[in-house]
Amino acid sequence: MISVIHAVDLKIGYSPDSILAKINKLEIEQGDVVSIVGKSGIGKTTFLKNIAHLVNPVSGTLKVFGTDEEPKRGVIGYIPQKLGLIKHETVYSNVLEGAICNESILRSMSGFHEEKVIDKVKEAIELMDLSDKIDEPVKRLSGGQQRRVAIARTIAQGPKLILADEFLSELDDKTVEDVWKAMLEYVESNNITLVIVEHNLERAKLAKRCFKLEKDNEDYSILSEVEA
Amino acid sequence: MNLARKKYPIFISFILFTTYLVFVDLVDGDWASLENSLENLSTFFHESLWPPNWKVIEAQSYPTCDRSWDFLCSPAYIGIMETLKIALVSTGFGFIISLPLATLASRNLYSDSIALPFRFVLAAMRTLPSIIWAIFFVILVGLGPVSGVLAMTFYTVGYLGKLQYETIEGLSNDPLDAAKAMGLNNGEIIQRVVIPETANNLISQLFFMFEYNVRHGSVIGIVGAGGIGYYISTYLKFLQYDKVIALLIILFFVVIAIDLISIKARSYFVDDATFKSPSLFGNIFRTKK
Repeated sequence: MISVIHAVDLKIGYSPDSILAKINKLEIEQGDVVSIVGKSGIGKTTFLKNIAHLVNPVSGTLKVFGTDEEPKRGVIGYIPQKLGLIKHETVYSNVLEGAICNESILRSMSGFHEEKVIDKVKEAIELMDLSDKIDEPVKRLSGGQQRRVAIARTIAQGPKLILADEFLSELDDKTVEDVWKAMLEYVESNNITLVIVEHNLERAKLAKRCFKLEKDNEDYSILSEVEA
Repeated sequence: MNLARKKYPIFISFILFTTYLVFVDLVDGDWASLENSLENLSTFFHESLWPPNWKVIEAQSYPTCDRSWDFLCSPAYIGIMETLKIALVSTGFGFIISLPLATLASRNLYSDSIALPFRFVLAAMRTLPSIIWAIFFVILVGLGPVSGVLAMTFYTVGYLGKLQYETIEGLSNDPLDAAKAMGLNNGEIIQRVVIPETANNLISQLFFMFEYNVRHGSVIGIVGAGGIGYYISTYLKFLQYDKVIALLIILFFVVIAIDLISIKARSYFVDDATFKSPSLFGNIFRTKK
């Protein structure tokens, strides 16, 4: 199996004096569906940002796809807690933001997109059942629909690893079920690794492997695997 | 009543008392200079300022003007139109130049080693008021509207650039994080995230800057940089204060008109949730609903 995330003696936080969490050993492989659960402020989001190369680890080893350097364009899909959508823009434009990872910077900035990029946008929108909302500004959509747009943006990107930060929060049970099902179907059929962060243990157990971040005797929290 | 509210009277008294002390220090015991001020003002007003001389809206003899309607050849019209044109061009140029500089000065897009020098450049351009830039450019390119445009453009870049980078830095981290994690470069992030997310504020600031430049356009004309200020300056030199007051009254109404149009136009961009269309009077006398 291909190692997607490999962490040993990893300390995450903002500085050596303010360590949030320690990860002794973690191995996540291609196709794994993993959740990380823990209370607010314990370091879950920071860990996700470390994996996404948005924040550097304080110390230790963290390799993503076998390297500690930034991965190739489009390999990591990140869905932040508040989704990170451009609210004034249409569904199409938001999903296109993900799809442009599949073409050159010159193409993407000039606006002369390749046909395959446009096809990816349409496919992702169709897959998330948003075709009738394609020209709607995102701000006019419901919470569940906005989450679908965020997933469609990531799908259009064609990533090998998806990091989703509490993307099921503030949704009713039925919508959670729908959004989760859509995401799971996509990652399983494409052998994509999915790491979600959750503070709700029930939702975290929807994943196949579940890790818990909790305070030990030390000042920082420790990551350990729990039964899913 | 909470503690903060109890402290308001003490705070206001402190400010008033401090202001009074500083004023006394500035007057430096020379109270006599203030004694006749009201009388002087009254004399000046009745003998020199009032009534306004409305010849400023009649055609001037030089330079020759072929337009059929007298008003279109008057100093008031020519001056105001030139001021408006200077403001329009300098706001446009200023916006085009300031936006790339502001993105480079934003610390959520670029590291401090890049952002701080650009902030320094913008601060330097802002430090000199437009009238000083106008003096500089009048020396450099001579009297006329070109030096006015250059002066106002420089000041606009500094001022608008600061407003723009503050807006960009106020962006939520989430869209930026999502784009950075995808591997988009800064150019793509600016094009696809920063500009769409801040567009409403950027347009609103553009209107504000135009309005500001119209007001300041009258000042820079005084040093020979074109516009209505040129005529004000000329009349001041010949002690024709009645013409100056006439021009100032016209300028006042033009600025009010632009201000109202600008507030109305900006209201379409500031709040993205609903398009509101306030009444003109509502802009001045806002009432709580």
